[in-house]
Amino acid sequence: MNMKTVTGAIGRATLTFAMLVPQLSQAQTPASNSVPASSPAQSQGVQQPAAQQKQSGSSGLPSAPAPSQAPQEPSLQDLGFSQQQTQSNPALQAKLNRRTKMLKIHQRLGLITVAPMVADLITGPMAKAKGKNGQIIQEPTSTNLDLHAALGSTTAALYFTTAYYAMFAPKIPGVQKRGAIRMHEALAFIHGPGMILTPILGAMAFNQEQNGEKVHGIASAHGAVATVTAIAYGASIVAVAWPIHLKFWEKR
Amino acid sequence: MKFRMLAVMLLLGAFPAFAQRASQWMLVQSTLTYHVSSPVHQVSGVSHAAKGKGICQDGQCNFLVAAPVKSFSSGDSNRDLHMIEATRGADNPMVAVRAKFPEDELQQSTIYADLNVQFAGQTAHYAHVPFQRESQGDEVRITGTLPSTCSDFKFRRPSFLGMSISNEIPVHVDATWKPM
Repeated sequence: MNMKTVTGAIGRATLTFAMLVPQLSQAQTPASNSVPASSPAQSQGVQQPAAQQKQSGSSGLPSAPAPSQAPQEPSLQDLGFSQQQTQSNPALQAKLNRRTKMLKIHQRLGLITVAPMVADLITGPMAKAKGKNGQIIQEPTSTNLDLHAALGSTTAALYFTTAYYAMFAPKIPGVQKRGAIRMHEALAFIHGPGMILTPILGAMAFNQEQNGEKVHGIASAHGAVATVTAIAYGASIVAVAWPIHLKFWEKR
Repeated sequence: MKFRMLAVMLLLGAFPAFAQRASQWMLVQSTLTYHVSSPVHQVSGVSHAAKGKGICQDGQCNFLVAAPVKSFSSGDSNRDLHMIEATRGADNPMVAVRAKFPEDELQQSTIYADLNVQFAGQTAHYAHVPFQRESQGDEVRITGTLPSTCSDFKFRRPSFLGMSISNEIPVHVDATWKPM
């Protein structure tokens, strides 16, 4: 084998290799990019539900992009999210919607409850017999008593309706409670029993006064229990709103 | 002479392989922070769960960053659940940002990217959004703010104590990328 033959063989081999290189590189490019779903249909596989919603949901959006996707764009599949993470969950959305709806009512009723509660605290001393032993006892008028009782009943009714909407709002599984909501819920263990106890003690105090007795025993704690309950209730509202950054003066 | 011809042919043949080589980037660390304000509240929600990939080819870079909506934490689980509800986060569990910009901007201190953001079942487009680029060894740190609003994604603005949040919900992006 002479030198010419060897050179010719090498030349042919090199030429063949050189011509193959572009094909090889084209064939390898998608694999090396780890974009197995290089076709638009495949690359959007995970996002199909979102893409469908985009078409229906954003049809009126002037800034909506063109739906085309170049083959070299990375897709959600490339990122390695699990199907569980990327799949829509309509049942959970429905549960969240119902939860929000119920908690909005809870919030609204809770704020409304503040009004009769404060009024009840104000009218409380007016419904109490005044005077110490040896002095003339001033009996409260029946109007004062009735007003206080009516406000108390309204407060209790609103309070328990408010509580119902919080207690029976759907619970979302797997959510660990964090932040202000924990304090909000913890305070319910004070104002909840307080709201049960206050009307009971109030009724006992009322009966004792109606029997001409000075309010005594556990019934005499009615005012104190009501005050602690109202404070805990107010703190509960502040807690869920905390931290508050007032910026009314800033232009929204 | 033959060797020279062979060398030329070899180079010509190999050129398309070099021309088509795409540089790829992988997101190694990220902090996405949304800001919400109302007359009584200033709230930030943070996610470190984003994943991302970028491909630069033919002078054009295409980057994708995505994060589960539920991965954003504002420090209050109740608020986070309301956020997921308001943004239809169970129906559309991912927020995905697609960025396009010229490849040569990868060497500049500011990258102006055209963004498509898929969120809450809607897609919004933001043109020419500036991001700051900072080299850290072989990694690149990109920071910037996405000027998003509630109305871009057509979800009702959540309210608290009867006061709605402001329409603006800027999202600050801090992402560190590494070439693959």
